[in-house]
Amino acid sequence: MSLGLETLTSCFQGLIPATLYTCAADGTPNSAYLSHVEYVDATHVALSFQFFNKSRRNVEENPQALVRVVDPDTQQGWELRLRLERSETSGPLFDRMALRIEAIASYCGMKGIFRLLAADVYEVLSVGKVPEQPGAPPPVSDRRALDAVFTMRALQHLTERINAADGLEPLIDAILAGLDEVFGFSHSMILLPGEQPRTLITIATRGYPENGAGAEARFGEGITGLVAEARKPIRISGLMRGMLYAYAARFRAEEAGWCPAERRIPLPGLANPASQLGVPLLVRGELVGVLVIESETPYRFHEDDKQTIELLGAYLALAIQNAVLQEAGEAADPRASAPTPGPAALAVPTATLALAYYRADDVVMVDGEYLIRGLPARILWKLVTIHAADGRAEFTNRELRLDKTLQLPEYKDNLETRLLLLRRRLEQKCPALQIVPRGRGRFALVANAAVSLVERP
Amino acid sequence: MIDAELALFLQQGLAINIGTRDATLAPHAAYAPAALVEPGGTHVVIYAPAVGADAVLADLAGNGQAAVVFARPMDDRACQVKGTYVSHRPATDDERSLVDSQWNGFMQQLEMIGTPGESTRTWVIWPCVAIRLRVTALFNQTPGPDAGARLS
Repeated sequence: MSLGLETLTSCFQGLIPATLYTCAADGTPNSAYLSHVEYVDATHVALSFQFFNKSRRNVEENPQALVRVVDPDTQQGWELRLRLERSETSGPLFDRMALRIEAIASYCGMKGIFRLLAADVYEVLSVGKVPEQPGAPPPVSDRRALDAVFTMRALQHLTERINAADGLEPLIDAILAGLDEVFGFSHSMILLPGEQPRTLITIATRGYPENGAGAEARFGEGITGLVAEARKPIRISGLMRGMLYAYAARFRAEEAGWCPAERRIPLPGLANPASQLGVPLLVRGELVGVLVIESETPYRFHEDDKQTIELLGAYLALAIQNAVLQEAGEAADPRASAPTPGPAALAVPTATLALAYYRADDVVMVDGEYLIRGLPARILWKLVTIHAADGRAEFTNRELRLDKTLQLPEYKDNLETRLLLLRRRLEQKCPALQIVPRGRGRFALVANAAVSLVERP
Repeated sequence: MIDAELALFLQQGLAINIGTRDATLAPHAAYAPAALVEPGGTHVVIYAPAVGADAVLADLAGNGQAAVVFARPMDDRACQVKGTYVSHRPATDDERSLVDSQWNGFMQQLEMIGTPGESTRTWVIWPCVAIRLRVTALFNQTPGPDAGARLS
């Protein structure tokens, strides 16, 4: 007979803490809070083993355990009678649980310290309602009530938008706009592989005060970096709860001298995200990018949302890769990329901009402030120096690709994504200087200011 | 045994759960919306909704062993009180305000950390059984390397 465990997946998001009850061989009971209960299959759950505590010792002596969870949708309490079956220290289940813990820990400077030691797998012997914690039917929102139909229609609308996008930039904007307007996911970002190995760079965001273009994430850090490293999706529903738990542990660990006082990694995106969903964008095993969606609502992303976005991720990855390859191919065609003077490429300067290129750091500063580094910085410097020398304002991707001084990689140079990144960064930090597309493989440099240039070692 | 500072913590409106075990060492549990530390700190009274207390009361009558965990949602400070059963009785109307007050404190904590607004409002908190325990040991249960350490 089915236990009905598969209908309780909402209880296993860590939004409302679970409690674990065990008993030592000498008959002493133990009660404890749990950070997370993981659904394994229709007859098993797993509990995270992070610290060697009394509960862990008890189940080694006496494998009987009781865990209580609460459904965040209905508030119904459920009681699961368990028996310890095995401990896993590797494999998909362990990786999944470890990833979630590491994602939270990385925000609190606890990565490597606050970590999963084992996934303890328990057979679920029975499932029952907790009588003093009755639930109520969840509020019926139009969206939830029409789930299946809604999801299909939403996917259809989003794919229509994506199909209509005729380049990388409109494609990425269409994805984020579609997630917002069709699915209601109003805070999102797309990161693509960076120039340095094991880095990602933000190419587009939606819903934040700043566009964030150029913000970097290293593999293994935060939800973005963990998704990239593991190449697996991560959903965190009770992020605030999880972070409070991790901070409590961090405070104790600091007191015990386990970790330095300040290693916290600044959280990109929302200041106080309560839910996050990160999906790797993979094409035949190659990481094309990472999509991160977040919300200030604690239980924003349900299981069906995760599945939908995972499904969508595969499609988005293909679409992004195709757009990159298509733009690179078209830009490489000399027939399509002859420079043509555009109208009013240069507007009348209304202010002055002081641009400085620091060769050693490969960085361009504007008016003394950091603008961009790496390949986009070299491209920008090339454009502004050519413009300063002969007044030319029209350029082609192809000429950049052939320019050895830019040091583009021989294989997969990502020129189009770097140009997009440069455009976005200028929009955000230096709006007086613009890169304006002029059709396939062509663009113009538009300066609404007088530009002074200085190159430094 | 329970000092004034800890008593204040335990009675501010926390997540409280009592665990017991039967003759086969199988655990049972009940949720408790409130607790009272008696003057002197050697005894506590746990208020558990009557509707969910049968198994716990049967265990207590059989072997008397209890483990009560208290946790504050805001910072995950947690403490476990081990105790032995002394008695139980229906909570009186005079005790209702204490239960309501701690329950409201707990709900305010939940709201402060962003747990969904209506969470737990459906839960039964009255009538309660007042379970009196003699405190035998106290343990820190705040997450971290010293979780499980005995409190002096």
